[in-house]
Amino acid sequence: MATVAPGVTTGPYHAVLDHIHPEPTSFIRKYIFSIDAKVIGIQYMITGAIFFAISGFMAELIRTQLLSPNGLIVSSATYNSIYSMHGSSMVWFVVIPLLTGAFGNFVMPMQIGARDVAFPWLNLVAFWIFPVAGVILFSSFLVGAPDAGWTEYPPISLLGPPGTNLWCIAVFLIGISSTMTGINFLVTIFKMRAPGMTFTRMPLFVWAQFATAPLSFIATTALGAALAALFIERVFGVPFYDPKRGGSPVLWQHMFWFYSHPAVYIMIIPGFGIISEVLPTFARKPIFGYKMIAFSSVAIALLSFSVWAHHMFTSGMAPWLQLPFMIVTMVIAIPTGVKIFSWMATLWGGAINWKTPALYATGFLITFTYGGLTGFFLAAIPADYHEHGTYFVVAHFHYVLYGGSIMSLFAGLYYWWPKMTGRMYNEKLGQLQFWLTFIGFNATFTPMHWLGLMGMPRRVATYDPQFTFWNQFASISSYVMAAGALLFIYILIDSLRNGKKAGPNPWGARTLEWMVSSPAPYYNFKKIPAVLAAPYDFGNPLPYLGLEAAPGATEATPTHSSHPVPTHL
Amino acid sequence: MAVSVAPAHGIGHGDDDHGHDDIIYRETRDMRLMGFVLFLGADVVLFSSYIFAYIYLRNSIPAWPPPGADGHQLPRLDTAFAAFNSIVLFGSGVTMHWALEHWKHANRSRFNVFMFLTILLGVGFLGGQAYEYAHAAIGGWSGNTFGASFFTLTGMHGLHVAVGVGFLIALWIQTTRGVYTKERFFGLTAGTLYWHFVDVIWVGLFFLFYLW
Repeated sequence: MATVAPGVTTGPYHAVLDHIHPEPTSFIRKYIFSIDAKVIGIQYMITGAIFFAISGFMAELIRTQLLSPNGLIVSSATYNSIYSMHGSSMVWFVVIPLLTGAFGNFVMPMQIGARDVAFPWLNLVAFWIFPVAGVILFSSFLVGAPDAGWTEYPPISLLGPPGTNLWCIAVFLIGISSTMTGINFLVTIFKMRAPGMTFTRMPLFVWAQFATAPLSFIATTALGAALAALFIERVFGVPFYDPKRGGSPVLWQHMFWFYSHPAVYIMIIPGFGIISEVLPTFARKPIFGYKMIAFSSVAIALLSFSVWAHHMFTSGMAPWLQLPFMIVTMVIAIPTGVKIFSWMATLWGGAINWKTPALYATGFLITFTYGGLTGFFLAAIPADYHEHGTYFVVAHFHYVLYGGSIMSLFAGLYYWWPKMTGRMYNEKLGQLQFWLTFIGFNATFTPMHWLGLMGMPRRVATYDPQFTFWNQFASISSYVMAAGALLFIYILIDSLRNGKKAGPNPWGARTLEWMVSSPAPYYNFKKIPAVLAAPYDFGNPLPYLGLEAAPGATEATPTHSSHPVPTHL
Repeated sequence: MAVSVAPAHGIGHGDDDHGHDDIIYRETRDMRLMGFVLFLGADVVLFSSYIFAYIYLRNSIPAWPPPGADGHQLPRLDTAFAAFNSIVLFGSGVTMHWALEHWKHANRSRFNVFMFLTILLGVGFLGGQAYEYAHAAIGGWSGNTFGASFFTLTGMHGLHVAVGVGFLIALWIQTTRGVYTKERFFGLTAGTLYWHFVDVIWVGLFFLFYLW
């Protein structure tokens, strides 16, 4: 057992972790069927990136189609399949696996001072379901891809092409994977923190994963039930949703959104966690309102279960029922606002080091706040009657999903890239990539608010000529975004080939993952450290005892660092 | 204490340091227990979703059960038979409880008797369910929304019972191979938890379909 200094509160320390299993030597056990959470995290990252490229390509097809009011390249039927698959893939196969599976696995165990997650084998199975489900999803193109949007509302989805069945199976499988990961992470965070790491000493990214994990296995199970019912209705004719046979299409909407609204927070709370790590590191200041940020994640997670019907104001549900959903939805703005203001206060007066992760985190603050505000408009019932089903909604959720989740993913990837690979990326190209993405993104999606308010419906392959200018503007801007994404691929390859050695802690950050060498060694810590305080007190000595200097450490030898800013920054 | 480098799969087999070994066992067991309980929690959500669907569908139709294909009111399910079958299932919960208690007191022969009874009653319940499926005149799985909910929910529950029977048989085989000891029997705890869970779900389903 680790030596704990006198006076250190012993947390839920685990002797299990004192065992260091020998590193596997065969290629297959090391890189393919690895049980090391870091390798699994990177596997999620690569798989998610491939799906991101595919669904990003579909997004560009959508925008190219809309260059002309009559539709430029594909038939309406194909267009329906493309946007349905774009949405399904981005939500379930890109954002959720990247934010929980990838960053959760790579960062969270190291940040709590553990060697792995609680159930490494379960982790392995959860990961391998993901590419299999992805292949099933995309193979639906071979038999006729689903065409009722990513929400697959019956009765249209009941009439949809055979690929809709594959869609059900794929999303059901990824749900099982998500459930496994949620349970795994929750047990890991509860039971495997290093000695002294009480809940209020956990890094905020860990808090974010802690708030997300229950959503992953509670809400996802409800979605699984809805999907299974849709599947058996389509295949065996069992009536659940078909109104002709006594079923109810609105039932699907309830079951689907009972999952999918919490899923919105599965897709953003880990992003909040990434931002909470990046901002103090680059502002070189303690995070403002640590406890408020931590607790507000949990508050958002709890509230997220009671807002789902705000997606259904126009479905004919009773007016008296709409009002509480509107109010609770607006209440969510309070914990979210607490976070936004805490981050702004963290930046306030800081000596901000404008590296790419900091740019992305700040860009996130702008775009996510903007997306949050339009969410407020949509939550207001009278406004929603006008905006529902228009491009205003498309603009809103891309602002929170791209401007929120994807921007935070970029921030996290630039931030932890040196830890994953041991190499730095090209900073100038990184900043260029940020500006391409940021400008391209805003120019693509801002006009959609106006299009929506003017009445352009979403999910249409052609449109009225009066909308032409802003559609063309959005399409051309989307190519700027795509250029940013291509540049990103180049930056990563360039970094792997020519990147400078990163050293253990290139950013001078203070959480535990930066206390080991880069890339992190198998089993992370030679000796489990003891934790004395929350990690964000820039200017104070590091709050860890018993850390051994990382092999090859050249700067900021962890246990003795009283000067938090490495000289080369 | 220095870091001990154990060989792979060395956990639980070290005979040099019993105290350390015990701590490792307890901590591993606690993690597994928490994971298993969370899994059961997710399973509760699965059943709850279909229960919600049932209540929703029921409330969206004026007459319940909905009229059959020929327009006549469907008969109600046979409550008396289902009550008898329920007693069979709850009885198996009691015998499972005793099986675990006897294991804790190292009474292997009684453990075997109660384990056998549990599995027998579980299979009996499944047989009763099959009989009921064959005789329920409510239009089948795909006939109407009542049949849809009834067969989906009870079928899912039956599947859980069948998996549970398999689980118990596997555990029983494991006990004969010396996997568990008087002090270390997490698998049996998990099996018992699962079995009680299946019982409790049935209480809800019985109320929904036979008494309401």
